[in-house]
Amino acid sequence: MLSRSMFAVVAVLGATAVAWPPANPSLPMADLGRMSEMSLLDIERENGCVDDGGGDGVLRVERAGTLAAPAGGAGAAADPAGAAWPPTWASTPMRGGDVPPARVVSDPYPILHSVAVDTKNERVFVSDPNRHAIWSYDRRAASRATEAVRPLTGIRGPATGMMFVAAVTVDPERQEVYSVDNDIGDRLMVFPYEATGNVRPKRVLQVPHQAWGISISRERDELAVTVEGAREVVIYRREAKGNDPPVRVVRGPKTGLGDPHGVFLDGVNRELVVANHGNQGGRQPVPGDQPRRRGGPLDAGRGTFTGGRFEEPSLTVYPADARGDVAPLRRIQGKRTGLNWPMAIAVDRKNDEVAVANNGDGSIRVYRRTDTGDVAPVRTLKGPRTGIVGPMGVDIDAVNDELWVSNYGDHTALVFARTAAGDVAPKRILRNAPAGSPTVGFGNPGAVAYDSKRDEILVPN
Amino acid sequence: MHGIFYDPVHDEMVVPVALAGAVLTLRGGTTGGEAPIRVLQGPKTELVQPDTLYVDVRHDEMIVDSGDDAVLVFARTASGDTPPLRRLKGSHTKIRNPYGLTIDSTRDLIFVANRTETGETRESTDGILVFNRTDDGDVAPRAVIAGPRTGILKIRQIVIDEPRGQLFVTVKNNVEFYDVEAGRFTPWNPERTGFIGVWDATDDGDVPPRGVIMGPASGLIWPAGVAINPDTHEVYTIDSVGNALFIFEMPEFFFRKPAPPAPGAGASSGR
Repeated sequence: MLSRSMFAVVAVLGATAVAWPPANPSLPMADLGRMSEMSLLDIERENGCVDDGGGDGVLRVERAGTLAAPAGGAGAAADPAGAAWPPTWASTPMRGGDVPPARVVSDPYPILHSVAVDTKNERVFVSDPNRHAIWSYDRRAASRATEAVRPLTGIRGPATGMMFVAAVTVDPERQEVYSVDNDIGDRLMVFPYEATGNVRPKRVLQVPHQAWGISISRERDELAVTVEGAREVVIYRREAKGNDPPVRVVRGPKTGLGDPHGVFLDGVNRELVVANHGNQGGRQPVPGDQPRRRGGPLDAGRGTFTGGRFEEPSLTVYPADARGDVAPLRRIQGKRTGLNWPMAIAVDRKNDEVAVANNGDGSIRVYRRTDTGDVAPVRTLKGPRTGIVGPMGVDIDAVNDELWVSNYGDHTALVFARTAAGDVAPKRILRNAPAGSPTVGFGNPGAVAYDSKRDEILVPN
Repeated sequence: MHGIFYDPVHDEMVVPVALAGAVLTLRGGTTGGEAPIRVLQGPKTELVQPDTLYVDVRHDEMIVDSGDDAVLVFARTASGDTPPLRRLKGSHTKIRNPYGLTIDSTRDLIFVANRTETGETRESTDGILVFNRTDDGDVAPRAVIAGPRTGILKIRQIVIDEPRGQLFVTVKNNVEFYDVEAGRFTPWNPERTGFIGVWDATDDGDVPPRGVIMGPASGLIWPAGVAINPDTHEVYTIDSVGNALFIFEMPEFFFRKPAPPAPGAGASSGR
C-alpha cells in the first residue's frame, strides 16, 4: 500500500481564486483581494522585517525603460567600492522594470506550525512560518466568537534571524522559547519569554540543514533536533550556541529513521521518541555520531548510493543516550497505526501516552507510550466537529488535562479535553485570524507551473 | 519540493520528491491523496535527491536533476527502477546543484539553472548552462550565461517560451547571510532583492538580462519559481520569503511574433 508520504503537497490556485485546502473551497476572498493592492515588500517594511531605511538602498528599476540606480543606492550599499550593481545594468535598456503585480495570492495572517504550552507560567507559544514569527498567548485565552485573539508577544523581524521557522518549544524554568529554521536558515534561536518585536535572540545555534523538530530535556539538560534529509537526530547541550558541536548524533540504516520530524527527548523514561514520514533518500545515511554538515567542524561525508524508497511512517524509540547507528528499542509502524505524515509528537509522562499530529489524514492519534509494532491508537481525534485541519503541532497539558493542536490548514489552535476522542468539538479555539479567513498554505514555496487545461497555477510546497 | 511540471498534452503533473529520491507523475487535476500514475525510484534510476525536472513532450523524454550534480534523461513514461537513457555528468559539464531545467525542443537545447553558490561567500558563479539536447556524458556546455553582468546569484527555476526563444529565470539575488558576531541579523538582504530575468535562448557569456521584473513596487524579495502564460502575457512567480504568488501582466516580454509551433511541441512554453 502506498502511504501518503509519497504524495507532494501541491496548492492549486485558480487564476483569480484560492482553492486550498481543497476541503473548504468556499472560503471568502476579501482579504486576499486586498493584498493585490499592496506590495509585500512594503508590508515587510511596515512590520520591521526589511531594514533598509525606507527603501533608499533598493535598486530602482523603471518600467519599460532603462534601469536607474539611486545615488548611494544598491550598488553603493552592497559594494564597498561604490560601483553600481549589477555592473552595466544602469546603462542597459531592459524591458519591464519595477512593475507592480496585477494580482497577489498571499496570506496576511500567521499560519501555525507548532505549539508549546507552559502551565507553570500560563503561556502558550506558536511558531508561524508564514510571517516568520513566534507568537505567545495566555494559556486560557480563547476566541469568544469569530474574532482573533490578540497575542501577548510577537517575535518577528530582521533582528530575530528567523526564516522558515519550524518547531517551537519552551523551557518554563528559565522562561526561554526555542525555535528552529527548516529549509532556509539552518539556525536554532532562543528568546526570553518576554521578548517581543524585532529583537535579537538570546542564543543562536547553527544546526544542520533541514532541521524540523526540537525537544528539550530538563532532566538531561540537553536538546534534540531532527533533520529531515540527513535522517538523523542531533543532540546538543541545552545551552549550546554558535558553532558548538552536538554531543551525539543518532544516524544510520539500523536506526530506521526516515525523514524524521517530531521528536521528544524524555528524560524521565530515558528515551528518545521520533516521528518518521518514512522517506528514504537515494544515499544511505552515513552511520555514526558525527554531524553531517554545519553545526560542527566535522563532516561525515557522503553515504553509499542505494536508491530512494518509501517506507511506512513510524514512531521509533531509542535510549535517551543513544548515539550512532543503533536499532530502535520499539517501533510503532503498520497499517493499523493509521500513521500518515506524522508531524509533532508529545509524550505524556503522567499518563504514559504519546500524541501524534497526524497531518496526512487530519487527525490526532494517541498511543500507549510503550506500544510497539502494528498497533491501533488508543484514541483518535478526527472529524469535522473537531476543527482539525492539517495539524502540524500537538502538546499535552497534563496539569489541566488538556490537549493542544495547532492547525496548518486553518488559522487556529485548538484545545481539547486530554482524553477527547472521535469527532468532538474543542473546548476552546484560539484564532489568529477572523473565522473563515482562508489559509493559502504556502511554506517556503520553491516552484510554480501553469495548468493550461484548467487555467490553474500549481505551487508545490 | 523545488520543482513541478504540467504536461498539457497528456494532462499530467510531474513532481520530484527530493527526500525519497523519486519522481511522481500524477493525473492532471488530481486532488487529495490520489495515488500517482507512475513512480520512478530505485538504484537503477541514479536519483539521489531530485529537486527539479522538465518534460519534453515533443521527444517524449523527461530530464531530472539527480540531486548528485547530474542531469538525467528518461523516457517520459519511465516508471519503477528504470535507468536513464542519457546523463550529463562530470567536471566538464560544470553541472552543480541544478535548481531549474528547461528544454527547447525546437532548437534541441537543454538549459540548466546551475547553482554553484554555497552560502559561504556573497558572490557566485551561478549561471545558465546550455547543452545540446542529445548530449551524453561528461561534455562541456555549448554556452554559459554567467558573470557579474548577469546579476545571477542564487538562481532558481527556469522556463522557456519556446516559440519566442526566451528564457524566464528566477534569481534570489541573495545569500542567507546571518552573522551574529558582525551584528548582521537580517535574514534577507534588502539591498539585493531578487528578480525575474529574461534572456534570449541564444545568449552566451556575461550578458545582462533583456528584461527584468525587480524593485520595491514588484514586491519580490526571493522569487523562487517562475511560469508563464503566453496567451495572456502573464508571468507567475512564487516568493519563498514573502510566501506569496505574484501574477504580472507583461506584454512587453511577449512582443516577438511567435514561431510556428513544432509538431508535437505541446508544452513548448512550459505550460
